[in-house]
Amino acid sequence: MAHKRRIGVYVCHCGGNISDHVNVKEVAKTLADEAEVEITRTHLFACSDASQQEMIDEIKERNLDGLVIASCSPKLHLFTFRAMAERAGLNPYQYVHVNIREQCSWAHTGDKVGATEKGIHITRAGVAKCALTNSLTPFRLETQPRVMVIGAGVAGLRAAISLADMGLSVFVIERGNEPGGWAAQVGRMGPDDRYGPDIVANLLEQIRKQENIVLFTNAELTAKTGHIGDFNATVRLHGKEDVSLNVGAFIVTTGFTPYEPRDGEYGWGLPGVVTLKDFRQMLEAAGGGRLTHNGIPVRDVGFIYCVGSRQTQSDTCPEPNTHCSRFCCMATTFSASLLHEFEKKSGQTINQYHLYRDVRTYGRLETVYSKARADGALFLRWDPTEPPRVERCDGRLAIKVKDTLLGNEELEIDADLVVLATGMTPRKNDTLKNVLKVTESKDGFYKEIHIKLRPVETAIDGVFIAGTAQGPKNLAESVASSLAAVAKAGGRLKRGFVDLEPLIAKIDTGKCVWCDECLKACPYGAIERVVCGDKEVAMVIESSCKGEGGCVPVCAQNAIDIEGYRNEQILAMIDASQKELVTA
Amino acid sequence: MIKVSSNLAARVKDTEGFNAGACFHCGTCTALCPLGYEMLPRKLFREVMLGLEEKVRARIPQIFSCLLCRMCEKNCPSEVHIADNIRTLRCLINRQEFGLK
Repeated sequence: MAHKRRIGVYVCHCGGNISDHVNVKEVAKTLADEAEVEITRTHLFACSDASQQEMIDEIKERNLDGLVIASCSPKLHLFTFRAMAERAGLNPYQYVHVNIREQCSWAHTGDKVGATEKGIHITRAGVAKCALTNSLTPFRLETQPRVMVIGAGVAGLRAAISLADMGLSVFVIERGNEPGGWAAQVGRMGPDDRYGPDIVANLLEQIRKQENIVLFTNAELTAKTGHIGDFNATVRLHGKEDVSLNVGAFIVTTGFTPYEPRDGEYGWGLPGVVTLKDFRQMLEAAGGGRLTHNGIPVRDVGFIYCVGSRQTQSDTCPEPNTHCSRFCCMATTFSASLLHEFEKKSGQTINQYHLYRDVRTYGRLETVYSKARADGALFLRWDPTEPPRVERCDGRLAIKVKDTLLGNEELEIDADLVVLATGMTPRKNDTLKNVLKVTESKDGFYKEIHIKLRPVETAIDGVFIAGTAQGPKNLAESVASSLAAVAKAGGRLKRGFVDLEPLIAKIDTGKCVWCDECLKACPYGAIERVVCGDKEVAMVIESSCKGEGGCVPVCAQNAIDIEGYRNEQILAMIDASQKELVTA
Repeated sequence: MIKVSSNLAARVKDTEGFNAGACFHCGTCTALCPLGYEMLPRKLFREVMLGLEEKVRARIPQIFSCLLCRMCEKNCPSEVHIADNIRTLRCLINRQEFGLK
């Protein structure tokens, strides 16, 4: 230890949240005896402006070089107090947050003696850690004002236009021959009857007018190196020619794959059993004429909801899609009204039977469901334990269903067409998955950091996800999420630089013998092999490391430390927390 | 197993006086019915729309027992014209249409 530290310890009452169950005065008094502690105080609310000012004055006055505040969860106020330390002229990484609320007072209500003892133990550990803190500076990296959008569906196209409007250059890469995605193929879309191909044509027109958007079709991302703000991407065109592009961020809008029913699932494979998309194409093709199937006019149509969504595991369905696909209830009830409109226009009588589990036309979409009912569509509710069965019968289709709304009365409906409302499944693309290294959620879609608070960011800094690549969404939701990704990516790149946390892995090249265990353990691709003098060693790519720590325990040489959680700090914390209490 | 038929459904569809399509089966009507028939009027209307003629025929006494008090109609969240529907059904039955008598 270079010199004796001068640490300030502040214990917070949190009103009474802490002090009702922990004797905060006792904690402060006991901690004053620690060798490196210069001063201890208690505060009614350490986070209040007045308390912060008092602490700042004291840090300056007493020239403190370490700070411990025993208060709430770091999720609440770690950054508050780091910023306060900085204002007091203290390095923010020499501040240590101790949680004596969630992890002490709230967990041990009614045991004031025990809670107080525990409060002392964990605050001592905080002091021990603080005594070994270093002064650290965040890494500042320059950013490139360019973004790559992967997937040219509506979400991707919309993102590209907005990024260009912000003054960023955009490369849109599309794996298929044509941009536009599903919206270009579905025709009229609910809830407000917009024509999909028109939406796409309009977006493409705007893209043509933008000078700083380049759209590649038949293009795939095959490699990515670098870090947020400065990635090098390799894009393969037409499966042969490689181009290298330098971008600051990626927005992944690769969309979904429609569910393909299993053979025999709700009659799939029988003539007349079609998906909703097929049905809509038939209806559009019928135009003002007659809706026929195999030359016979269609009179009765059965719609089955939740096909490939909200599944439960069974022998026939070993890997169920447990998610709700969100868009199908609206798309199917909207199709009901389109069919009714066709019926009125053509004079062809068509009866509609909608076999559903729950109609999830949330929010404004409820109007679509109401309209379908008013238009004469009949809704029958089935129980997932007894799903409807579809059979071929006398040249037509017979649907057998137990209607829960009639007390499970078993009904048989003769139909000319059975339309399956198939859901969304994750789009499988192993090349892209390996290149991006973005994690997947349990249902196989790309996973965000936090579903509520960080919905478009991923564990890989600089890679954002949007649209149905992240999970089932309707078009409006896809666009909302793509614009959220634009805001996040654009916000990072427009500053011109990014500051990254310095709490990352450090490798002692003297000890390292390059066994590649750390490389295998790192989920962020932050380890690189380099030559150092006469041997090969591991090097941390500082911009990619998240300080996750998976590399530390696998290193047989003990050559890796995570700054802020160094082995010596952790050991000191354990020792300090085990120190016996001397009761007066 | 009962076969769903579109005949009765098509007939009531053409009748201006009958429309229960807006019903979403909350059951408020059944709960409020002073006569206490559990099928009135929610299930009855459903049976009519699905064309379950046998079932409807078996309900004739209840259809004619309805007091037309409109307690259900007043409280229906989907604003179904329940009393008009009942009267339309009575007309259809009296005209001996669709073997409803």
